Amino acid sequence: MDLYLPIAEVSVNAPLLVALGAIVGFISGLFGIGGGFLMTPVLVFLGIPPAVAVASEANHVAASSVSSVSAYSRRRMVDFRMGGVLAGGGVVGAFVGVEIFRVLRLLGQADLVVSVSYLLFLGVIGALMLWESLGAILRSRRGQTPKPRRERRPVLLYALPWKMRFPKSRLYISVIPPIVLGFLIGILSAIMGVGGGFILVPAMVYLLRMPANVVVGTSLFQIVITTALTSVLQAGRNQTVDIVLATLLLIGGVVGAQLGARASARFRAEELRALLALIVLLVGLRMGLGLFIHPEDPFVFVTGGG
Amino acid sequence: MPVAIAPPSQAPVAISATLTETDVRVTSGFTGAKISVYGAVFDPRGRPSDVVVVVRGPEQSVRIARKVRIAGIWLNSRPVVFEGAPGFYRAASTRPLADITRFTQLRTLGLGLDHLTIAAPAERRVETRYGVRDMVVSSLGADYHAWRGAVVRLKQTAGLYSADADGVTFLDRGLFRAQVDLPADAPIGQYSARVILFQDGLPVSERTLPLKVEKVGLERALYLFAHQHPWLYGLVSAFIALAAGWLASRVFRRS
Repeated sequence: MDLYLPIAEVSVNAPLLVALGAIVGFISGLFGIGGGFLMTPVLVFLGIPPAVAVASEANHVAASSVSSVSAYSRRRMVDFRMGGVLAGGGVVGAFVGVEIFRVLRLLGQADLVVSVSYLLFLGVIGALMLWESLGAILRSRRGQTPKPRRERRPVLLYALPWKMRFPKSRLYISVIPPIVLGFLIGILSAIMGVGGGFILVPAMVYLLRMPANVVVGTSLFQIVITTALTSVLQAGRNQTVDIVLATLLLIGGVVGAQLGARASARFRAEELRALLALIVLLVGLRMGLGLFIHPEDPFVFVTGGG
Repeated sequence: MPVAIAPPSQAPVAISATLTETDVRVTSGFTGAKISVYGAVFDPRGRPSDVVVVVRGPEQSVRIARKVRIAGIWLNSRPVVFEGAPGFYRAASTRPLADITRFTQLRTLGLGLDHLTIAAPAERRVETRYGVRDMVVSSLGADYHAWRGAVVRLKQTAGLYSADADGVTFLDRGLFRAQVDLPADAPIGQYSARVILFQDGLPVSERTLPLKVEKVGLERALYLFAHQHPWLYGLVSAFIALAAGWLASRVFRRS
């Protein structure tokens, strides 16, 4: 069943998009990430203009994240205060990111920056996560006890001013690192059309030293706020949100996210992380490939501005 | 003494044509449209005739960049703006255009992929646009043909530009037909179909038919909503997303 999208101005297969939305929603609920880094490249591959894909995908990520964040909050696995601080930075970052993206599109360098960001962020984070989680899996197979958590108190978190208590995360740290983190992720979310969960989750574990059980839910909560805002900004500033496309994706997405959040209870954390790392790494390499292979046609159309 | 019959050449040679559809309505089920051009050549002397049908879509500016390799990485050059490239172009004819008429005629009339008019300023013009400095509007010079050729080639790959040297067929004496396939991603707007009759390499008669492609119904309503009230549209779409997510989680909690 083909459906014509009013903003993207292309015809797409509706059941295919619902199914894709469900698959990405499932992954989103399972790993506590938005899933945008998977969906945006797929939409572009299906022939949807990149600007529309990025903007509509933010809408889909918001929907599936709401769906899974409420599942996590029922199990008391969301630190709303930390999420709010992160989102505060994220909101400012989203404004900046939407403007950066506009200028990049006018300069014709948007594709390049998107490819480089994917290669750099997904490649590096995927590789690090894979290394770390494979190590953890091997250690537990050999029956060794996991390395004790480093108790060293990072200067970055404790020496800076404006300390705040985060009871859920059992932290008493400066609010500057979470705000800066949220800001950077807000920029990325506008440029790459992603929620930023794949960066946020490891950053919360390794930089903010948050307990693993609240990380996923908190990351999803911050993603809901940033992506909902990004999609309003993209619609208002660039008119690139396709409501029909977003609705098709979120029908599948919200259901998939619920199933994913349930399934996550059945997996071991290290195995889950290794799998996520592998997906992240592969997507990053695939997106970066275009930078190195000889193009079939030396010319390309660049979108935007016009 | 034989009665002088009025020489047939006195009767004007003319062409007449019509479209099977003049108003293409883009609804949610739109997957493209097939439109036929029917027409007739009136020539009492029955001289050999060639017919060329050119369908041109609304003009859109196109931005194109060249890939350049810097330090082993393929980067985009500064984009060049071609103002007024047709969003859709199809030239159909009874024979290859080069056999029908001379190069200069094709160039003047803008017939065929090699000659279709794309407005690009020939001289270098660097200006500030949309708050971005040093936008190259055109700095092509000697490279002009390579860039122009690339625009046509990429549009052809996307199925928006085409030329068919057998696209016009004579069904019966003087009666001809041509088919135009509009793809689903053909641009919305005002099109025109030019039907030109050639005899002895010269255009002798021409008709121009308007063709409109427009969104109707829900598609149109949503498009207008997104462009006339962009912020409200954004809030509504964000609300739908949040509400759908919340609803799904409620439904799943009960089950």
